[in-house]
Amino acid sequence: MKSSIPAIVGKEIVHILRDKQSLFMVLTMPVLMLLLYGYAITLDMQRINIMVVDNSGTPQSRELIRHVSSTDFFRISKVDSGIHDINTLFQSRMAQCVLFIPGDYAESIISGRQADLQLVIDASDPNAASFIQNYMGKVTAEEMIRRNGTEAGLFSIEPRIFYNPDMRSAPFFIPGLIALILILISALLTSIAIVREKESGTMEQLLVSPVKPSQIIIGKVLPYTLLGFVDGLIILVLGSLLFDVPIQGSFLLVACMMLIYVVTGLSLGILVSTISQSQSVAMLAAITLTILPSMLMSGFIFPISSMPRAFQYFSRIVPATYFIEIIRGIVLKGNGIAQIYRQAAVLLGIDIFLITVSIRAFRIRLE
Amino acid sequence: MIEGKNMEERSAVDVDGLTRRFGDFIAVNGISFQVAKGEIFGFLGANGAGKTTTIRMLCGLLSPTGGSGRVAGFDISSEYEKIKERIGYMSQKFSLYEDLTVMENIEFYGGIYGLGRNEVIERSRELFAIIGLNEHADQLAASLPMGWKQRMALCASLLHDPDIIFLDEPTSGVDPVARRSFWLLIYQLAETGKTIFVTTHYMDEAEYCNRLAIMKRGEIIELSGPQELKKRYGVGSMQEVFLEAVREKKI
Amino acid sequence: MRRIIAVVRKEFRQIRRTKAYIGIIFIAPFMQLLIMGSAITNEVKHIPSAVLDLDRSPHSREVIEAFKAVNLFDYLGEVQSRLEATAEMDDGRLKLVLVIPRHFERDLSRGIRPGIQVLIDGVDGNSAGITLGYINSVLAKVQHDWALHTAGQGAASINLIPRMLYNPNLDSTLNFVPGLIGILLVMMTTMLTALNIVREKEIGTLEQLMVTPLEGWQLIIGKIIPFTVLGFLQFTIGVLAARIIFAIPLRGSLPLLYAMVGLFFLSTMGLGIFVSTITQTQQQAMFVAYFIIIFMLLLSGFFVPIQNMPIFVQYLTLINPLRYFINVLREIYLKATPFRYLWREAAAMGGIGLTLLIGAALRFHKRLG
Repeated sequence: MKSSIPAIVGKEIVHILRDKQSLFMVLTMPVLMLLLYGYAITLDMQRINIMVVDNSGTPQSRELIRHVSSTDFFRISKVDSGIHDINTLFQSRMAQCVLFIPGDYAESIISGRQADLQLVIDASDPNAASFIQNYMGKVTAEEMIRRNGTEAGLFSIEPRIFYNPDMRSAPFFIPGLIALILILISALLTSIAIVREKESGTMEQLLVSPVKPSQIIIGKVLPYTLLGFVDGLIILVLGSLLFDVPIQGSFLLVACMMLIYVVTGLSLGILVSTISQSQSVAMLAAITLTILPSMLMSGFIFPISSMPRAFQYFSRIVPATYFIEIIRGIVLKGNGIAQIYRQAAVLLGIDIFLITVSIRAFRIRLE
Repeated sequence: MIEGKNMEERSAVDVDGLTRRFGDFIAVNGISFQVAKGEIFGFLGANGAGKTTTIRMLCGLLSPTGGSGRVAGFDISSEYEKIKERIGYMSQKFSLYEDLTVMENIEFYGGIYGLGRNEVIERSRELFAIIGLNEHADQLAASLPMGWKQRMALCASLLHDPDIIFLDEPTSGVDPVARRSFWLLIYQLAETGKTIFVTTHYMDEAEYCNRLAIMKRGEIIELSGPQELKKRYGVGSMQEVFLEAVREKKI
Repeated sequence: MRRIIAVVRKEFRQIRRTKAYIGIIFIAPFMQLLIMGSAITNEVKHIPSAVLDLDRSPHSREVIEAFKAVNLFDYLGEVQSRLEATAEMDDGRLKLVLVIPRHFERDLSRGIRPGIQVLIDGVDGNSAGITLGYINSVLAKVQHDWALHTAGQGAASINLIPRMLYNPNLDSTLNFVPGLIGILLVMMTTMLTALNIVREKEIGTLEQLMVTPLEGWQLIIGKIIPFTVLGFLQFTIGVLAARIIFAIPLRGSLPLLYAMVGLFFLSTMGLGIFVSTITQTQQQAMFVAYFIIIFMLLLSGFFVPIQNMPIFVQYLTLINPLRYFINVLREIYLKATPFRYLWREAAAMGGIGLTLLIGAALRFHKRLG
């Protein structure tokens, strides 16, 4: 029997084109999200407010303070000879750290002894805290070298940043953002598809006809895949141009991978709706299952390597994880199929798995 | 008709040149009629003739774009909140909470109309006796067959003992036997002095009304009692009256 | 008053009957909190690294030993050539390679200042920066020791003693878990309230209510109360989980915390209800709520500090209640900050909530047109 997939696909496309409201949203939302979050998400460090308590008040201590304020990193909010309550300072967020210069600083420096500087840091943001600690360590080390004037035994540190020489956050985030937007849109697309069916009650019609469940599922996924794919291409090109993230690798390769990924998002949504009792519960589940894991556990912002081992396994079942590795690899590192075939295979496998299970679940529903 | 201030107190519903537009589409086109207290007044017409729009305006749900009307002595354009306290309304969809039991639905609407717990219990006892919902009190609304859902919706609209009841297609989707017994209920209510305003597209039910209006494309083409109409058209049933009326009057 | 009670009673009855709620409100968020609270951290750890030693001198060994001692780096061994280093980095197997040049030791003693190259995978710019910071710190220490040694007695040395307040172990869960609780609360309160009212629109009971003497604001209050109760329940579970599972004690005032949660709910439910007044179907409501929630999450200061964002985006975050709430949670939890320093956030959440609720009440005319 000739496949009825083209007929189903054709019908869906007509539906899509007629529903101008949803179509509009599906095409503009990703762009809006890209623009908004692309500009918003940056981890480029801003200046840290520091308060200095100078108990020494000597030219030496003032030189140290000058050194600190001349960095790009620290902004001195106040210099004082004492401080009442550090807690209040930190609670009011006037400063994030306090540097205490002891009364005998100048004497120690001149007579060649050790001067102890205390640095109290508001560690409620631990990352900023360790950054502050390291940076101040660098400043004091340099100050020390300057004072001692020795050149021997000195070496310099020459960083060579690969793939992202200016350490901009855009190259890191934009591919990740594209992955995030795509899966969010896919989840939405499926809910459009399913709801439309249920509302018009045509599902019953289809079920009575000789069309096979596999054809129904595939026929549904196809047109929305196209839509999601078009979305993906738009934000990829836009993101690359606007945020100056040139695609080092093959555009064709990215496009292919994107196709596979969009199918993943869609089939996940379809599976959820097929096995859910009520439609609103289905949508709720699909949404909560996609948003948080894709944002938090996929390596989008929080590095997977930093997670405890057990949870690294969890991130391995989040499809976004693989796609993010793929897209970052191709866009930033110029990876070819040789480097990413593993991740691509996993995504493909997930696709096949989800679609198969959906078809089976659908058949069971019929009985 | 009869002039004088008396009329305003005597008629439950008084409509004059009522019009409602939706953009370019005129749903209700300058209709006028009165409903006397204690009457069973029917509004007939095909789907899309303007029946539901009219009833919504009378209930204070929709504001008229032209003309005026009074329900229970209050103006439907400016005093609609007062109207709501005095009328009962049963919508086409029998808006019930499917996941609540019959009793819970009743308690809810009772509370909404400001009835105290005891009042609700008493009223529901009375009404259940008349309407016959007793055994179903603790059943989920979702599990009730159509006929009983309809009764429940009616019950909810009567809790606060309104003088005028608006029923929008109350018997749609209900089997003929249930429809019949529903109308017996309506008669009982009318006997207690309540005014009943009904819309329907079942022509045989038109026979049960004291007076009726036939609507076509937003206008009233006939306004009279069922016997009169049958005589005038020289036919034996309201069904035939309707077919004739709608065919003849070309608008 | 009686009318509001009638609404509240009905809502509670309906909630009790919906089995799915138990999963959505209690189980799912709890699981998510558990998993994500344990997993996410933006600390830099387990960086796969290697060394390319082209000098093979005692000094280069010293540098390598100092490098290996940093336990944030997963030292994987030595590479033999630049080519190998680059290939491994392309593959993603190495993220950091230290290259000690030929003649390192010789140039060192001659005062020529040789350069140690640090090859870093810069894909994650933030991690790269932090990594670089650590390397700087480690090598600065080596530098310090050598400088002292060379200069002999009479060399001044500056010793930096750091003291971490509120979070001595630099545990990022302390930072994240409160924020996660806030995120989970948003999803529940906003979406569920929006869906609830739109469902009544869809099935027609809203129209029925419009014909009754029930006022719009009475309906809104009646709907808010049950969801607020649920929200507080969910929050309490979150607080308990934080204490028991993540060992995060509440350092600040409990009543203040709950008061803030209440204000937060005012804003999220106001949002949900407002959404319900501008949508007709559950699907539409879900779409709109969906995008609003994503906006609230990404622009809340949870992933990225707000002060890092461009100015115009920072202005946008001013209307995001989650931004204030996450702030408040962190402050009260970690620093026991009193209300005195939190009134701005409280005012913001309250203001946003009231505006939305009043807006919704106004839109709730009991008229269809």
